[in-house]
Amino acid sequence: MRLSELKVGDKAEVTAVKAESATRRRIMDMGLIKGTRFRVVRVAPLGDPMEISFKGLFLAMRKNEAEGILVEKQSG
Amino acid sequence: MSVGKEIRIALAGNPNCGKTSLFNALTGAHQKVGNFSGVTVEKHEGYLDYKGYRIVVVDLPGIYSLTPYSPEEIVTREYLIREPPDVVVNVLEGPNLERNLILTTQLMELEVDFLVALNMIDEVEEKGIIIEIKQLQKLLGCHIIPTSAKKSIGIDSLLDHVIRVSRNDIEIRKNKLFFRPEVESSVEKITAMLTHQPELGGYNARWLAIKLLENDREVYHEVQHYPVWVKVELALQDALREAERLHDSEPEMLITEDRHAFIRGAMQECVRQPGGVKTTASDYIDMVVLNRLLGLPIFLLVVWAIFQLTFTLGSPLMGGLQFLFGIIASAIAPLLPNETLRSIVIDGIIAGVGGVLVFLPNIVLLFIGLSFLEASGYMARAAFVIDRVMHRFGLHGKSFIPMITGFGCSIPAIMATRTLKSRTDRLVTIMIIPFMSCGAKLPVYVLLTAAFFTPDVAANVMFGIYLLGIIVGLWTALILKKTVMKSDSEPFVMELPPYRWPTFTSVFFQAKVKALMYLKKAGTLILSAVIIIWAVSNYPRNGALEATLSTERVRIAGSSMAAAEKIKLKRELDLRIKSEQLEYSVAGRAGKVLEPLIRPLGFDWRIGIALVTGLAAKEVVVSTLGTIYSIGQSDGAPVELKSILRHDPSFSRATALSLMVFVLLYIPCVAAIGVMKKEVGRWRPVLLYSAYSLSVAWILSFVVYRLALLML
Ligand SMILES: Nc1nc2c(ncn2[C@@H]2O[C@H](COP(=O)(O)OP(=O)(O)O)[C@@H](O)[C@H]2O)c(=O)[nH]1
Ligand SMILES: [Mg+2]
Repeated sequence: MRLSELKVGDKAEVTAVKAESATRRRIMDMGLIKGTRFRVVRVAPLGDPMEISFKGLFLAMRKNEAEGILVEKQSG
Repeated sequence: MSVGKEIRIALAGNPNCGKTSLFNALTGAHQKVGNFSGVTVEKHEGYLDYKGYRIVVVDLPGIYSLTPYSPEEIVTREYLIREPPDVVVNVLEGPNLERNLILTTQLMELEVDFLVALNMIDEVEEKGIIIEIKQLQKLLGCHIIPTSAKKSIGIDSLLDHVIRVSRNDIEIRKNKLFFRPEVESSVEKITAMLTHQPELGGYNARWLAIKLLENDREVYHEVQHYPVWVKVELALQDALREAERLHDSEPEMLITEDRHAFIRGAMQECVRQPGGVKTTASDYIDMVVLNRLLGLPIFLLVVWAIFQLTFTLGSPLMGGLQFLFGIIASAIAPLLPNETLRSIVIDGIIAGVGGVLVFLPNIVLLFIGLSFLEASGYMARAAFVIDRVMHRFGLHGKSFIPMITGFGCSIPAIMATRTLKSRTDRLVTIMIIPFMSCGAKLPVYVLLTAAFFTPDVAANVMFGIYLLGIIVGLWTALILKKTVMKSDSEPFVMELPPYRWPTFTSVFFQAKVKALMYLKKAGTLILSAVIIIWAVSNYPRNGALEATLSTERVRIAGSSMAAAEKIKLKRELDLRIKSEQLEYSVAGRAGKVLEPLIRPLGFDWRIGIALVTGLAAKEVVVSTLGTIYSIGQSDGAPVELKSILRHDPSFSRATALSLMVFVLLYIPCVAAIGVMKKEVGRWRPVLLYSAYSLSVAWILSFVVYRLALLML
């Protein structure tokens, strides 16, 4: 499934980053690559950018960008 | 004291790792600010003398990686490659080591002489994180010096090591990062091809090979021109096929993954946090600040507070400066016997340049506020909260700061767009800033609303004007994004850094930088503009008029009126002559030529002159109207001008509304245009933009004027 489809509180692992090349670079440079486990922390008050957390850092991204990240949801 | 050998060092690191704080801790008072040559990315340079060495420090823009992505990253990489400093100091945010090491691995690949400043060591200790520095040094192949820029820890040790690295007096051998075998073999194959290319001698061949495999566009362009490219291209295609076959992936991804694997290994070996990760103060603050219900109100509150800080706190200071310029003017006036010289100094330079300088306190306060928000970490949150709205108009969450700033003054606002990485986002934001009604336009609205509307309506009219500006601005953004500036919106992928209490020096330093830039750019530009405008509204002189003036003066002096009466008559005479002279001047004639063009908006030639002179600075519209309508008082004295306008047959409510709309929208002042040109880099877009804003102003004023004539 896509990162954009996750709900607040969900935990997941990245399986692939498929975004357009510049965006993909940025995402990977921030440390989000295949195998990274993260948690969806919150969604912005107006519902768009979402915030995820991994390895002690917090990353905000638009749902648009999050669509390019394929993830596997983890239970619990 | 003689200064010994010079060592140039550059601070490189992720945004918010404490580079600027470290820069300040190192260089103290010896700082210089400028731009990197050819681009508008700021360059901070400073120096210190230490143990007989002069150490020159450059604070590079914060970057996440060496792959050029934003203008800042391009600048940083170009700088590191083309003018390699003697020593690169890689500043790391200690508590957030894993992500910060991504850049370090790329510095390893570049094979520059570098060492690591493991910054925020105070926070590392506080959090109970244990870092095995010795082991990490071996893995990264460089010295690691724990520092705290905030508490001035480790600064001397850092400097000692800088000197040692520059003398090659180091114990730690450089380490190389090896990729998985199939990637490594491609890297080595291409490295071999590039090694014996004398033309490419400036670059490290292995680094070039890695970048080519990573699809780095700049490096492609560099290598493409050489004959060896034919062979290299084949090797690249092979590598691509291999990656596809073995991993269903691309070399770029594999290289990134291998770097991360190396980092993960290093982290496991060298970093422990026995107490575990706890929920931090930052997390708690965000629970409130980014709360679904509270997020927006808090955002608005913060914007409001910045606005208050800038304008409420700034206005007494501004008043003080105005007062000061008044004193200077009256002190200088008697020293200048020549009337022409006096006029150019007092009416031209002091009034014009002073009129711009008085905004300095506002600018400094604004930037103190903004850099506080930036350094504390709130700015990223603000962009997060408001991005949805901005995105709808094709803008970026971060565009809102320059827009808000624009309500104060367009110049710092245009400068503030530097926080935007995508060039088109920056251009679009710059183009809509002038529609955010700036402080200098306020006197115009105050004068006209006071003259033609009752106080309760006046406030609404004023609000309507501001709203119209915002609407036109957003609409312009939408049009630009849909037409000429379609491409490459900046992806919104942004770190929300932990909240930190900013150091006083770094906030102050940022404000100082902005103030200097403002003085330098706006100051020189305004000065020349003001002199030109002074000249065109004073020349050519009308000789006949001057003759009348002197005979009349003599007549009044010789008459038997009371002294007070004489003074009054004299002043009236002066004003009449002044306005007739203005009509006779180049500006006056221009106004007459303009008249047919602006007649449909309800403006006569006098308003035409005011609009032309208003290009110097928008407040000048009021002072020109004052002069022309024979009121003189260049500081406005709206009480009188107000009633004169009200009773003037050429002026009506419809004219007033139309004029306000026109002043709101038409071409920005020269200073803003100049800064725009500087930031955009070329004249063409700026001129096109000026034509655009002039047309929008004309059309909307026309509509407003006609509607008002029908309805009022
Ligand atoms: N605790 C702590 N905070 C620091 C240290 N160095 C910088 N900071 C804070 O980190 C934030 C970002 O610092 P700044 O110098 O602006 O980072 P830059 O973006 O790399 O230039 C500011 O709030 C600083 O006060 C440090 O050594 N310890
Ligand atoms: Mg900085």
